[in-house]
Amino acid sequence: MAAEGSEAGTADREIVATRVFDAPRELVFKMWTDPEHIVQWWGPKGFTTTTYAADVRPGGVWRFVMHGPDGTDYQNRIVFLEIVEPERLVYKHDPDKETEPVSFEVTVTFAEEGGKTRITVRMLFPSATARDYVIKTYGAEEGLQQTLDRLGEYVQTKA
Amino acid sequence: MTPDHLSTTFAALADPTRRAILARLSSGEASVTDLAAPFDMSLPAISKHLKVLERAGLITRGREAQKRPCRLEAKPLREIADWIEHYRRFWQESFDRLDEYLYELQGKEKRHGRRRK
Repeated sequence: MAAEGSEAGTADREIVATRVFDAPRELVFKMWTDPEHIVQWWGPKGFTTTTYAADVRPGGVWRFVMHGPDGTDYQNRIVFLEIVEPERLVYKHDPDKETEPVSFEVTVTFAEEGGKTRITVRMLFPSATARDYVIKTYGAEEGLQQTLDRLGEYVQTKA
Repeated sequence: MTPDHLSTTFAALADPTRRAILARLSSGEASVTDLAAPFDMSLPAISKHLKVLERAGLITRGREAQKRPCRLEAKPLREIADWIEHYRRFWQESFDRLDEYLYELQGKEKRHGRRRK
């Protein structure tokens, strides 16, 4: 995952994950919009996903729970904002009382690249400086990083 | 971490002076006077920044009436770093799984030569 920029004016407050998949774009897009497919790959290693409701259209809600390898359940609620088959998907993590209290917008683009498909996921952060600061924390600010490392052991069990 | 909590931390970090103060404090505690030294800023102005940092839980201040030395509290920063790391890992591993799944779905025979990033 790298802090690549986008053409849009939001480049300064996003973090980007991208990868090329050896599959046609239509198929890759379907992996994201067909609930039966989504649950097959969504989430980190060892996680499984159960869908309660999936209404894949603009304004529609995907309500699901992620089961962690340690038995912890993470309730999630996603609202789809834009669905442009087969090139673009915009959704929002939109919490309610029962879900993880995290709110942010995600844009996924699907681009053809020599018979393969590049997926780019852009997560919008609350502010640019905050994002830069965090990135800086991972790199240049060594003193601070060490401080963080010393106090960060509990994180290992939490990720 | 609740969104409000996260927002408070982000807001506190969204200022170059406050970030410089935190960077300075990462090498040890310091008094308001020490912290103000590199800046062309009044002590009250610096104190105002310190209050924002204190409210966000990013620093604590000593009890000695005169000096009240400031100390970096890394937990909120750790929480932000944790938050980022969580999503970094989420995508990396979801992509791995999607890659596998697409492979199975398409029933491909040869696995090498597939590009990854």
